[in-house]
Amino acid sequence: MWIQLMPVLVVLSVLFGGALVLGVMQSLGFAPWFGVNTFPDFQYFGALWGDWFFWQSLGLTLYYALVSTFLSLVMGVLLALALVRYFPGKTFYKYLYKLPLMIPYTVGIALAVIMMGNSGMISRLMAFVGLIDDPSQFPQILKTHYGWGIIAVYVWKQTPFVALTVYAVLLGVGRETEEAAAILGANKWQIFFQVTFPQILPGIVSSTLIIFAFNIGAFEAPFILGGGFPDTLPVVAWRYFNDADYTLQLQGMATVVSIALIAGVILYSYLSFYRRYERRIGRH
Amino acid sequence: MTEVHLRGVGKDFGAFTAISRIDLDIKSGELVALLGPSGCGKTTTLRMIAGLEVPTSGQILFDGEDVSEVPVQDRNVGMVFQRYALFPHMTVEKNVTFGLKVRGTPAEEIKERLEDILDVVQLQPFRHRFPAQLSGGQMQRVAIARTLITKPSVLMMDEPLANLDTKLRGEMRRFIRDLQQRLGITTIFVTHDQIEAMELADRVAVIFNGNLAQYDRPDVLYQRPSSIEVADFMGADNIFPADISSAGVIDSRFGKLTFDPATAPAQDGEGHFLLRSEAIDLLLTAEGAETNLIQGVVRNREFFGASVNYAVECAGETINVSEQSRRLVEVGETVWLRIQPNHIWVIQEGSRA
Repeated sequence: MWIQLMPVLVVLSVLFGGALVLGVMQSLGFAPWFGVNTFPDFQYFGALWGDWFFWQSLGLTLYYALVSTFLSLVMGVLLALALVRYFPGKTFYKYLYKLPLMIPYTVGIALAVIMMGNSGMISRLMAFVGLIDDPSQFPQILKTHYGWGIIAVYVWKQTPFVALTVYAVLLGVGRETEEAAAILGANKWQIFFQVTFPQILPGIVSSTLIIFAFNIGAFEAPFILGGGFPDTLPVVAWRYFNDADYTLQLQGMATVVSIALIAGVILYSYLSFYRRYERRIGRH
Repeated sequence: MTEVHLRGVGKDFGAFTAISRIDLDIKSGELVALLGPSGCGKTTTLRMIAGLEVPTSGQILFDGEDVSEVPVQDRNVGMVFQRYALFPHMTVEKNVTFGLKVRGTPAEEIKERLEDILDVVQLQPFRHRFPAQLSGGQMQRVAIARTLITKPSVLMMDEPLANLDTKLRGEMRRFIRDLQQRLGITTIFVTHDQIEAMELADRVAVIFNGNLAQYDRPDVLYQRPSSIEVADFMGADNIFPADISSAGVIDSRFGKLTFDPATAPAQDGEGHFLLRSEAIDLLLTAEGAETNLIQGVVRNREFFGASVNYAVECAGETINVSEQSRRLVEVGETVWLRIQPNHIWVIQEGSRA
């Protein structure tokens, strides 16, 4: 058994664990290769957390992550529910909906720029049909702090992921409990919320955990499609790392560790909240 | 109490015809089995009666009222699924009260009815358990309680005994039978097992390829099947072709046999006759026996403890005989088979509906 686990353990402990330890130490002032060693030193965290822009960035990061996770969840579950029912052309849709999963995020971002940008396809189309006089009158969708572009890319990519996970769970659950509930007199809302939802919850929790963790740490989409200062935390970290003043790398590392801490706390509370629910309904 | 009538009910799934046309009358309080091989359309029929499928043609009547278009929620039927379909995230109590809660029954009444039904199905000690913590028989009783608490007008069961082991089968059979008779609820169940159908049902509807082949009491179905397919499906093995005369004489490869035209009405012409293996006497001498005697040699013996089966070769054919194992006849012995005229059944396809 240990032999089978070895490769995973090595990767986890050396690569991930080592990087984590090093990252935390750097954020606490340990960087002798830059000639800086004030370990343990909380000034980088102090400077970061003491600044108002950090909290704005955090708010933005959470806003993009939460909204897109929620939208992907709702749309993914609806899609999965549709996929277990019969409709004409289902086989085709079953391939079609998985397409975004195979396309890289960067391509999705490029698509968003092409489609939703100020001189993008949608604005030109709207100008063409006369809804606006000139493509430049098209409302700014990308590069605002509403983050429609970022959310659109995340939702585009993650809805199929949620659908895929929940669909697999739904197939295992089968239609019988829903039919039994219908015969017992439940309407479709009662069936969904009291019978289907509790049974697909494990799939929902695991898929949203994964996409939320990704969204909170993702860099490319907010970097390209975001609204500039204040940036999301990963972009902030990147700017520190890329600064001409290399000692700011320690500030960047403090940002990264903050992201990890916040994501960890949120995901842990989410999981323990879910575990409590599982225990309450008698699953362990 | 509800009477159920199927009037020319058919169901197509795209190009595939599951049920061509079925007429069925189920009396109030009757326990009816839909019997047939898998894929014959029996489950589809049950699902149409439940309202889970809409018939392509025909009508389903409850007490004379057409319910074909009534949505499943409003049909007030009960269904016990083959794998029970219990809600895995709810306790026994919550499973059982689900139907009343979604209908908005007052909490006081739910409580009362819950206690009553838990007594009926003897599940009081298990009320706080989850389905995963129950045995097969207990899960089935939960499924039955969950349905009966809503006082359905028709109770339906899909293969009610199929998932239970032999000992539990007998227990559940008696339980279902008692309950059904006590409540007098019209009950329809689906099975592919002719033993299960005969054990439980008042009447059995045999369905082949989406058509009703025969609808009768179990003993009639067993002793007087209307076609070779039905006889075959009911486990008959001695079916032989013959020339049959309406006067009660069979001319077969075993010679002339007489039967009783009063029990087995027949027309002159070709047909088949059926000898039930347990209705045949196995004699070691021909003495004292005069009619309906077939000579043969025992070729094989199967010993089942209480009973024993012999394969007897007679005129190049094999006739199966079963009897209580009070004695054992050796393989290779010459024997005489005797059958009473009123135990011979005649099948003439097309001559009798």
